[in-house]
Amino acid sequence: MRLAALLLFAAGFVTACARTSKSHETVLTFSGSALGAEGTLVAKQLRKFMQLHPDIRVELQRTPDDANQRHQLYVQWLNARVGNPDILQLDVVWTPEFAAAGWVLPLTRFSPASSEFFPATISANTWAGQLYALPWFADVGLLYRRTDFVPSEPRNLGELVTDAKRAMARPGGPRFGIVWQGARYEGLITGFVEYLGAFGGRILDDSGRVVVNQPEAVRALQFMRDELYTWHVAPLDVLTWHEEEARFAFQNGTAVFMRNWPYPVAAMSDKSQSRVAGKFAVSPIPASGEPGGHSTAALGGAQLAINAYSESPDAAYRLIEYLTAPEQMLERGQAVGQYPTRPALYDDPRLRSALTIPLDDARRAIESATPRPVTPIYTELSEILQIELHRALVRQAEPQDALNSAAKRIDALIERTGMRKLMSSAHNAPAPAASSTAGGAE
Amino acid sequence: MRKVSRLGYEARLGWSLVAPALSVIALIAIFPLGWTVWESLHLHELRMPWLGQPFVGLANYVEIAKDPRFWAALAHTAFFTVVSISLELLIGLFLALAMNRAFRGRGFVRAAVLVPWAIPTVVAALLWRFMFESQGGIANALLVDVHILKQPIVWFIQTSTAWVPVILADVWKTTPFVALLLLAGLQNIDLSLYEAAAVDGANAWWQLRHITLPLLKPAILVTLIFRTLDGFRVFDLIYVLTGGGPGTSTEPVALYTFNALLQNLRFGYGSALSVVIFAITFGLALLYVRGLGVRLGGDET
Repeated sequence: MRLAALLLFAAGFVTACARTSKSHETVLTFSGSALGAEGTLVAKQLRKFMQLHPDIRVELQRTPDDANQRHQLYVQWLNARVGNPDILQLDVVWTPEFAAAGWVLPLTRFSPASSEFFPATISANTWAGQLYALPWFADVGLLYRRTDFVPSEPRNLGELVTDAKRAMARPGGPRFGIVWQGARYEGLITGFVEYLGAFGGRILDDSGRVVVNQPEAVRALQFMRDELYTWHVAPLDVLTWHEEEARFAFQNGTAVFMRNWPYPVAAMSDKSQSRVAGKFAVSPIPASGEPGGHSTAALGGAQLAINAYSESPDAAYRLIEYLTAPEQMLERGQAVGQYPTRPALYDDPRLRSALTIPLDDARRAIESATPRPVTPIYTELSEILQIELHRALVRQAEPQDALNSAAKRIDALIERTGMRKLMSSAHNAPAPAASSTAGGAE
Repeated sequence: MRKVSRLGYEARLGWSLVAPALSVIALIAIFPLGWTVWESLHLHELRMPWLGQPFVGLANYVEIAKDPRFWAALAHTAFFTVVSISLELLIGLFLALAMNRAFRGRGFVRAAVLVPWAIPTVVAALLWRFMFESQGGIANALLVDVHILKQPIVWFIQTSTAWVPVILADVWKTTPFVALLLLAGLQNIDLSLYEAAAVDGANAWWQLRHITLPLLKPAILVTLIFRTLDGFRVFDLIYVLTGGGPGTSTEPVALYTFNALLQNLRFGYGSALSVVIFAITFGLALLYVRGLGVRLGGDET
């Protein structure tokens, strides 16, 4: 007995020593890009953080820039319960998936100042009533327009088509009216979500029911089809295009309008490589003009979350708080042109020269941003929609039939994955989804 | 008595000598296959840990049988395999016959023909994609110039036209391989047969039908085995060229499986799909080997 007590004491002493000797330094790993200006900026900000917190050492773990690859890697690590990287960089549509799986920690206990961020960026990161990640920077869908052909922004989608046709008909006018991303991939969903909002439709309603085959959605999809086949303002090529092909077309002066993210602004403003430098402007994507419709931008961007298996969640949160603080966000906007997720920063004159588009336009676009469906099964839901939308757009199926088929298959997906139960329990009890579901799994 | 134990000893020695080889085979072939089969009997979604990993029996196989996308993918695979192999055999035979003649620079031609085969599939697929991609691409320009097309078309948004670059790329890339296999077969044919036939007054067509083709049958069958199995597992070419689109109308089973397994991380369902593909290719291989064996025997007697 006494021996046991002695041993216990000794063990306690040894671990205490170990802890004190190590407690000088907590080691955190941060997952992110190490490339280009972005990599330089991250390295610089991490260094500064370590100066402010001498007891924390941050190591940068390189992860692929390609979202699909990064996602696959994270899922494999987290299935193996690996605690590194401590801080995960999530795409905006991953947070609910990771939250429901119990792979990231709810941030509630750190009481983050969520009201200081754009509401859409917060709701995209909320699952079962709890916030799981803080928005790092935002991406929004924008309408690019040739100001030499269309001086003022169209007030609704009908005007956009008229403007496009008029510009195409002018001698020397661009060949294409509007270009967007219509290949069968995630980009097609972001574009569709924008038309959908413009017509007042949604994919899932607040209670998680599938409403993507309702009349508003059919009208939105029909509008996209009419741009291709009826009004001939969008070239059929867009059905194979991603962001870059659209940018090439617009940058070479062959399109009146373009739907794209903010990233091409810098390259297109450069006279040495762009034919449209000084001849274009961006604005939020307009509404349809029909009742119930509103101007909508798809929301993208990166979020920071804490690995549920991290050994130092408190230090991890301090780093997230630091990286999403106004000063760092401003620096980020200035260095790599990414949009801050804090509305207050759009009043800061220091951001003016950095974002290359007027701050009010940028703010308006983010305020009209809507998250894609906030659900743990987003990726598979998106795949179903991509296929059915593409089928309708290449005229393999009629819009109503394609959307009915999508709704049926999404319903089957919700059934198969037990989402219905998960969602109702998520709505009733604000308890962490992770712990309540983990119990069910075991 | 002594004899029996001796045999036993020899047998034991024999087994112990092949044991390392057998265990390597078990480790790298049988174990993964068994694991995949085991996995295919479970619900295992890497993305949805809340579902657990329950044993579900044949539920994944039932889902496959009920999935129209799987049957469509199977049909696309069969279509691709039949069309591309037919073309490859025809053109390959023609090339092999030509290369079998004695002419100046034959060695160079034989080497040059192999160039497409030597190019990695992904690179070749990207080249073909580039040629067919935009309305201003080479394919459109050529076809409009020779008045086959009135105006440029977008190849990848219609099922019928999306198949064109896929089949062309495969034929372009694999015909040399087929030609080489057939050429090897041709060189095994005894030239005196042709001399005899010529003496008997048989013309070239008759010689081809009654001497070359029957004696080439084993080579043709070997080629068919290789190509059918390859065709059934086609992945990279279509992944790069069409991504399975438009919609999913050019999606082969391998791409569908990849999608379930590695994109959606549905390990149970994806494993079941892998088992199904394995069963199909294995069945096809058996069928061919049987056919080949019978015919080989027939030729020998």
